[in-house]
Order: sequence, then C-alpha cells, then structure tokens
Amino acid sequence: MIEPMTTNKSGQLRAIAWLRWRLFVNGLRSKRARLELLSQVIVSIAFAIGGFGGAAVMAGMTFFILERGKPELIAILLWIVFFFWQLFPIMATAFTNNPDSSELLRFPLSYRSYFLVRMAYGAFDPATFLGSLWSFGILLGVGFAKATLLPWTLLVLLTFAAFNLLFMQMIFAWVERWLAQRRTREVLGILFVLVMLSLQMIGPLTGYFGRRARPGVIKFVEAIYPAQGILPPGLAADAVTQAISSQFMTSVSSLALLCAFALIIGYSLHVRLLAQYRGENLSEVAAASALPRDRSLRLGWNLPGFSSPVAAVFEKEIRYLLRSGPMLLTLIMPIFVLVIFRFGPMHSVRHSGSFLARTPDTAFPAAAGYTLLMLTNLVYNNFGGDAGGIQFFLASPVSFREIVLGKNLTHAAILAVETIVAWMGVSYLYGRPTFDVTIATLAGLLFAAPVNFSVGNLLSIYSPKKLDYSTFGRQRASQVTVLISLGLQIVVVGIGATVFWVARHYGNSWIATVILLLLAGISLSGYAVVLGRMDHIAEEWRETLVAELCRA
Amino acid sequence: MEAAPTISTQGLTRRFGELLAVDGIDLQVSPGQFFGFLGPNGAGKSTTIKMLTGLLAPSSGRIEILGIDLTAHPVEVKRQIGVVPEGMALFGRLTGPEFLNFAGRMYGLDRETTAKRAAELLDFMQLADQPKKLVTDYSHGMQKKLAMAAAVIHGPKVLFLDEPFEGVDAIAAGTLKTMLQGMIARGATIFLTSHVLEIVERLCSHVAIIHKGRLVAQGSLEELRAGVEAQTPAGLVDNSGDGSVNGARPSGEKMTLEQIFLRTVGGSRPAEQELSWLG
Repeated sequence: MIEPMTTNKSGQLRAIAWLRWRLFVNGLRSKRARLELLSQVIVSIAFAIGGFGGAAVMAGMTFFILERGKPELIAILLWIVFFFWQLFPIMATAFTNNPDSSELLRFPLSYRSYFLVRMAYGAFDPATFLGSLWSFGILLGVGFAKATLLPWTLLVLLTFAAFNLLFMQMIFAWVERWLAQRRTREVLGILFVLVMLSLQMIGPLTGYFGRRARPGVIKFVEAIYPAQGILPPGLAADAVTQAISSQFMTSVSSLALLCAFALIIGYSLHVRLLAQYRGENLSEVAAASALPRDRSLRLGWNLPGFSSPVAAVFEKEIRYLLRSGPMLLTLIMPIFVLVIFRFGPMHSVRHSGSFLARTPDTAFPAAAGYTLLMLTNLVYNNFGGDAGGIQFFLASPVSFREIVLGKNLTHAAILAVETIVAWMGVSYLYGRPTFDVTIATLAGLLFAAPVNFSVGNLLSIYSPKKLDYSTFGRQRASQVTVLISLGLQIVVVGIGATVFWVARHYGNSWIATVILLLLAGISLSGYAVVLGRMDHIAEEWRETLVAELCRA
Repeated sequence: MEAAPTISTQGLTRRFGELLAVDGIDLQVSPGQFFGFLGPNGAGKSTTIKMLTGLLAPSSGRIEILGIDLTAHPVEVKRQIGVVPEGMALFGRLTGPEFLNFAGRMYGLDRETTAKRAAELLDFMQLADQPKKLVTDYSHGMQKKLAMAAAVIHGPKVLFLDEPFEGVDAIAAGTLKTMLQGMIARGATIFLTSHVLEIVERLCSHVAIIHKGRLVAQGSLEELRAGVEAQTPAGLVDNSGDGSVNGARPSGEKMTLEQIFLRTVGGSRPAEQELSWLG
C-alpha cells in the first residue's frame, strides 16, 4: 500500500528558491550570458542610484514638508511612489522580470505556497525595490522631523508597501488572464498604448489650455482633492498626517481603511490565482469555422528590381508588422511627439526669437531622428519576432544576405513613409521646412540609417532575443543590445548635431548636406560590407540563433 | 551497377564542449529509400538531422546530399531538400496560405506556381477551411501538416523529417502517411526520425540505429532482423514474461522492429533493478 504523501511546505519553498538560483547560475555558462550579466550589473547600478537617490530626495522633501507644517503634502509623495510602483513594470518591460509561476502547478504545491511564491516573485521586481526604498526615504524624513512617530509611520508604510505589492501582482495576474488570448491581447495592447499616449498629452494640453481655463482647472482640482484622500496613497498620508496632529482615532481609521483596500485587492488576486491553481484552461483554439472556401489564388507581392525571396521576406515583414498592434502603434509616436511639442513648451517659445523660434527647420530634423529611433526596436533584433521561423530561414536555399536585405528594405520603407508623414506633420503644425534643411535632413538619414542597419544586423545575429510583438510585458530585450544601441544613437546624434551646428555657424545649410552625404557614402559602404558578410556570420552564429529563438 | 547514394556522410562528428554527441557516423541512404533513423533519447538523432540539413555545423566529417558537398554548396543542397525540423519552423503571425506562399517563393518558385501549389496543398492537408486563421492559433496537428506542406511545396528530391508524427492524431497521421508514400512512389527519398517504432516499421524500407552518438546498425529491415536473429536463440523468453520486450524472440515469430531496436541498443534491464516503493 502506498503511504499518503505529506508535503513539506518550507521544503518546497526552499526548493523553488534553489530552482531560481540554479536557473540563474546555469544561465551563465555561455560567454554571451556572462556579457548579458555584465549589462545587467550596469543597469542594476543605475537602479541602485535611482533607488537610493530617490530615497534621499523623498527623505529631504518629507523633512522639509513637516518642518514647514504642511504634513498633508506627504500625500503627493505617496502618490508618486504609488504611480511609479504600478506603472514602471508595465512601461519598462525590458527591465521587468515576471516569471510564469503556473509552471510550478504540476508539483503538489499547496495553494498557500503558490500564493506566497507569486508574491516572492513580485518582491524581486525593480519597481518593488525602488518603491520600497522611496517609502523608506519618507519614513526617514518623518523620523528626522518627528522621531516619536517613527514606529507608527513604519506600520503605515509597511501596510502601504503590502498594498502596492498586492496591487501590482493583481494587475499582472488579471492582465495575464486577458493576454492569454490573442484577440483580447491585441485589444489590450492597443488600449494600453492609447492610455499611454493620452497620459503624455495631459501636460501639453494643460499647458496650452491652462491659461484660459485656469479657474476651471483649479476648481476641478479642488473638487477631486478630497477624493484622493479616500484612496490608498491618500489614506496612508492621512494616517501619518493625523498622527502628527494627535488625531489618533482618525489616524487609526485611515490605516484601517488602507488595510481594507489591501484586503480587497488581496481577495481579487486570490480569485485569479485560485483559478490558475485549479488549472483553468485558457486555450484559444477556436472551433472550426464554416466559412466557404476561398478558391481564388492569391499571388505574393512583387518588388521590382529585387529577387523573389527578397520580395517574399519584405511581404512577410509587412504582414507581421500590420498584425502587431503594440509595435505598429509605437511607429506613430513621432507624429504624436510633434503634436505634443506643438502644444507644449515649444509653442510658448515659438515667438521668442530663441533657437527654437525656427521651429520648422528644427522640428523636421528632430522628427526624422526620432522616427529612426523608434525603428530601433525592429532594426536591432531583426529575428526576434520570427522565433522558431529562424529554422526555416536557415534551411531555405536563400542566402542570409537576401533575407537581411528584405528585412532592411522593410525598415527603410517604414522610415521613408514616416519621414514623409513627419514632413507633412511639421509643415501643417509648424510651417514648411526650408528646402535646404529638408535636403540636409534626408542626407542625415542617408548617413544614420545604414549605420543603424549595419550595427542592427550584427546585433540581431550576435545577441538575438525572442520577442512576442503582440504582447506587452514579455518583451525583455537583450541588455547588451540595449546598451550598444543606446551608445550608437548618442554617437550618431552627436555627429549629426555637430554637422548641423557647423552649418549654422557658417550660416549655410548646404554645408551640412555635403558633409552628411560624404558620411552617407562611408556608412553605405560599411553597410554593403556588413551585408556581404551576412552569410558567413549567420553560418558561424546559427547555433546561437536557433538556441535563443527556438527556446520555449 | 549501384546508384550513388542520395545521402552520404563520412566520419560525421559533432562535439558540444566535452560531449561527443555524434561520433564519426558513416551513413548511406540510396535513392528512393524511406529511411528511418532511430535511437534512444539523447542518442544524437536530432543533432544528426540538423547537420544533414545545414542547421548545425559538424565538428568534422563530410556530408553529401545528391552528390553535392553540403559545406561547400549549402544553397544548392537546400534547394533540393525539404525539412521539417524539431520546432517545425513556422511563422506564427502569418495565415496558412500566406506561409505557404512565402515558403514557395523562398524555395525559388514563381508567384503563380507557388499560389497554385499552396492552394492544392491546403486542400490536401484539409487546412483550406480556415484561410484567415493565423498559424499561431492552429492546433499542434494542423501546424505539423502545415510544416509538412511547406517542406514539400517545391517538390524536393529528399525530405528530412524530425519526429513528424509526434503529437499528431490518427486522421492527420493518415494524411501525412499518404503523402509520404506518394512521394516515395515517385522516386523521392525520405529520411525521418521517430520514436513510434510501429510507424517506422510500417513505412520505412531501411533503418539505421544510433546509440550514444555511434551508428550501431544500418540496412533494410530484413537485414537488421537477420543480423539480430542470428545472435538471439529462438524460443528465449525474456524476463518480463510477455515475450515481447527486451529484445527476446518468441519462438516461430518474426522479430518486430521494437525487439530489434531493444536488442541493438541493449534496452534490457536487470531483473533485480526495481523501484520497490512504486505501487
């Protein structure tokens, strides 16, 4: 007879911690992984600076606020912490690590352990690290100003931290639920981008309409201010503020309400995790539709002057892009930025006679540069979206040079279309850029694009990373690629800015055109050399490509 | 006069650091053969098929497909072969018809021929009903059929299949088998790996067995059977008692491929080795 198995919960949790550690250590076996670790160390140092620097700022501001006798302003600091804690993991997905804990469900893990594991995963997120440090800064500020309130504030801020952790996990758990199906995933992706774009518009629009509508705005802020007081950051602030004023009953009731919020959020998270724990099925295999068969033959695209495989790759890339909501929407950002600047600070200095007074001639190069920047997601990880399809490329009788050329043609076409739209946008919003500036900008693109394409092609092979273009939150880029592309952009923008500065110094934009065309000649030659070596490089690195892009 | 082999390797070797995954394999596959490449897990099957199709570089040795050196002329070889690798090599965000159109053109077909063959293949594979569905939303069996369709759209002379029947239901498997047998009848050569020995036994005319990176048997099923039977006394009953496992041969019956396989790779287990705590 088999004896009933007893599960040792602490043993299981230790085993999971060990698993995470071994995954990390085993992941360092290749040189590439060690390079990735080095990049992560650099990024972590940046986070540490942000965390400890932010904590110092929070401490200083809290101390200053309390010294000035305006404790209610602590609410602003706690709202900042709250927004950062919740928005950073969604906006900076490249730095967010949200492992799939449902893989552990095959083991006899109790629900309680599963819940704890999920919370532990969340606790190691950079947002939690920074949010906790900033909260600690607020605690220090209170301690310096009113030492007797330190234990109470500690209790309040610990509750606030627990609420934030639960809230972040709840959002991820529900978003995961919606992302499990492609249709809802894409709808959510588009909604997300629209919300992000709308948030960016708040500042400029407030600035633009602010002067005329200031009394209304103030009235609105006054009306909603009490509402923030009944939300978690406001409640946490109130619990501290009332304690400072010796209103202990009110303070305790605010903390109780904060606890209630944490419990409600915790319950919502519990509902989701329990469904996962019980093995919910989110399969999206649709029932076979009874559509009549389309018997008409559909011919592939033809690209005059290019071989059939290049045209096929071009067509495939365009189709992929058109079906990738988040990726597609990032490409409209340059136009959005033009609108933001039109209504934002640039507008206010338009007639001041400063450097920005010549907006059309500045806005067009800036918009074109930004357009190129937006393309880096695609250019620096050419094969990221292909995933297992890379094996098809490697097995097909097409040279890698042609495959990469097809991809770069797609990037160039997008750049061309976006540049035209940017030019029209600038003409409409700021006035038409002069002919010489337009030509100089195009010459600049002719220099910058091949440089980016060359380096992008190399990094796409040396440091590939599997991506899901349709999903937010699972686009963790290779840190090596992020750092190198950032460095390259600084160099390219620096060269471009210097050339334009020299031309302005001599009062002749054609100087910039000539210099940039000369540089374009060099960068195009470099691009041709890199493209010519693509077959050899891909052959050398095919194992890296397959291993990285075909992993589950 | 014997025809030149379609697939030929000499001293094919692949190392992964300290691990010798494939150890000096000499393989010969003749034209028109349906060739099964078998081996236990981790024996080196997938590594070998990846090297034969240009997905992985050999550490040493020589590969010739249709008499062409793969290392020296990879594009020429790839033009004449079709491949369904382990991960199926699909592009998830294309529809089935779009993927086949793409595949045909990558294999050098003109647009009209590609479109015509794509439509025929979709019909044959019973995938034509949902032309707007993205590949990522296909079931596993549908993806297998689509991968197979993409591998044959250019009419390859040699087809390499890594576990083509894994995770495929009986209906889809029947469709695939019909297509493969049709190809053999028209003179193509097929090289497949599979763990389903019954399928290999029914389909393949020739078999090779790889074990710990070394080729331990190669030949027609009859040749392999004769070789193993010569070493196994008839009537010997194995220790499990059912007479069908561990490579023993029940008296008067032909050995199955499974028995040949187990006998060749030494799959028997000492009787005393038991997991007594299992119920």
